[in-house]
Amino acid sequence: MTATTLTHDEAHHHDTPKGWRRWLFSTNHKDIGTLYLLFALTMLFLGGASAMLIRLELFQPGIQLLAPDLYNNLVTNHALIMIFGAVMPAAAGLANWMIPMMIGAPDMALPRMNNLSFWILPAAATMLILSFVVPFFPGGGTQINTGWTLYPPLSVQVGMSMDFLIFAIHLLGISSVLASINIIVTLLNMRAPGMTLMKMPMFCWTWLVTAFLLILVVPVLAGGVTMLLFDRHFGTSFFDAAGGGDPVLFQHLFWFFGHPEVYILLLPSIGVLSHVIPAFSRKPLFGYNSMVGAMLAVATIGMVVWAHHQYTIGMSLGAVTYFMIGTILISIPVGLMIFNFIATMWRGSMTFETPMLFAVAIVLMFTFGGLSGVMLAVVPADMQYHDTMFVVAHFHYVLMPGAVFGLFAGVFYWLPKWTGHMYDERLGKLFFWINVIGFNLTFFPQHFLGLAGMPRRIVDYNVMFTEFNVVSSIGAMIFGLSHLLFLYIIIKTIRGGKKAESRAWEGAKGLEWELDSPPAFHTWTVAPQIK
Amino acid sequence: MHVPEHQTPELRRKNIRLAWMLGGLALFFLVTSFPFWSGLFRIVGNQAVQ
Repeated sequence: MTATTLTHDEAHHHDTPKGWRRWLFSTNHKDIGTLYLLFALTMLFLGGASAMLIRLELFQPGIQLLAPDLYNNLVTNHALIMIFGAVMPAAAGLANWMIPMMIGAPDMALPRMNNLSFWILPAAATMLILSFVVPFFPGGGTQINTGWTLYPPLSVQVGMSMDFLIFAIHLLGISSVLASINIIVTLLNMRAPGMTLMKMPMFCWTWLVTAFLLILVVPVLAGGVTMLLFDRHFGTSFFDAAGGGDPVLFQHLFWFFGHPEVYILLLPSIGVLSHVIPAFSRKPLFGYNSMVGAMLAVATIGMVVWAHHQYTIGMSLGAVTYFMIGTILISIPVGLMIFNFIATMWRGSMTFETPMLFAVAIVLMFTFGGLSGVMLAVVPADMQYHDTMFVVAHFHYVLMPGAVFGLFAGVFYWLPKWTGHMYDERLGKLFFWINVIGFNLTFFPQHFLGLAGMPRRIVDYNVMFTEFNVVSSIGAMIFGLSHLLFLYIIIKTIRGGKKAESRAWEGAKGLEWELDSPPAFHTWTVAPQIK
Repeated sequence: MHVPEHQTPELRRKNIRLAWMLGGLALFFLVTSFPFWSGLFRIVGNQAVQ
């Protein structure tokens, strides 16, 4: 980022609206960002509670707490709540808060649509929760036992709770697409004069690519679940072989969405890291241009390798070879990003505040998750690993460090800007260590369970798997409960603490740090000039 | 048309035009995910050949 000339007129401010109307009718990007983040935090606890129940059940072999169908229902809901309810809205919250401030825009390009994109979410979450609750009522039908992948024919046979889930996915998809359109329009049309695309902060670049990915793949999922709805209620046979349909078609449609979804969850956190690592290394980001290129390569290749999730369905040798090579190729641009982060830290004047601790943990643990991903990409090996706990361990090592830790890093990095207070660094570091140790205790043993042959998505298991499951469950309790400390730190920071300066971190660069902490209700009412 | 106070009418038009284009792209991907359409084109194509 080059030097800026600040000419904005901070004297011209409207009064901040008061009461519930401020939130319900808000068109202010900061307020809507806050709403997204609060929503995501709520869903994180809901999804976390279901994960802890799952791990409690798996603490010992045999059936302790949960009936098999309820267990499957929890597995399904845990995944959907975490992906659609927690991670995606949290990333959208960061985008809402930071993108206008980073590009020198007064607000998002389409503020009322911004309001709509958020307020669809609580309705969608209600439908999602109802899909879990409905089977408990008389006449509510069977529980959803498909997992988040919703494969037919099982998903056609499930009770009415599946209909709630399908409509929840429709609503979540509409919300995501509207938010993505808004972000792309903001980034392309609302940048301050002089800020070319290649001068744009990296967080904005990651969101530009993420938003395009969302627009391209979410409608395909919507199409897939709509066909599912038609097969369930309107006599069609899209996925019914007996009626001339193809059950595998749904898997293709689902993973055409599902694989890019991994990058949708990942890229905003890569964007956060691109700010956190330079700030705490006190060096500019190494290889800005190559980061942009790598991100575009990841998005492009990521769109055309979906069937590596389906090696076992019986594809032709040519098809599996193509999907295997394509998948392994993705490790090149991803490796380039990791290399750039390490090169940024190299000989930097590094300090390890909480955001930087999370950033370093991401570089280490996400790389580990990526390596097990390369193992899974290899067809003959995947035939052994498929549907085992190894897969569970792999994707949690990708998504927790890759997506969630990145969001934690972003929250700690920007919390002083949002609230005007520095958070308690001692508590932040304590949270980091408990969280990271709890995470590794939970998921590292699952690699061994998978390699030893323990299948995933089962309520009971052979006694030979007991020891690693006990460790994993104890880790999960530590990991889950550590988030209460995260909540406490946030509340404490909002309520008070040491006053944050405009530039809360010594090495922080960018337009957002030129604004007061907390920033005024309306910022950049006069666009800054980027030299 | 309501124009947010931080946007000129020209910028507002530009923003809405781009939003519709992106919405169209999303709709295109939605519609092409239905095998119904590929089946329909195949039927129409076969009839045209006959």
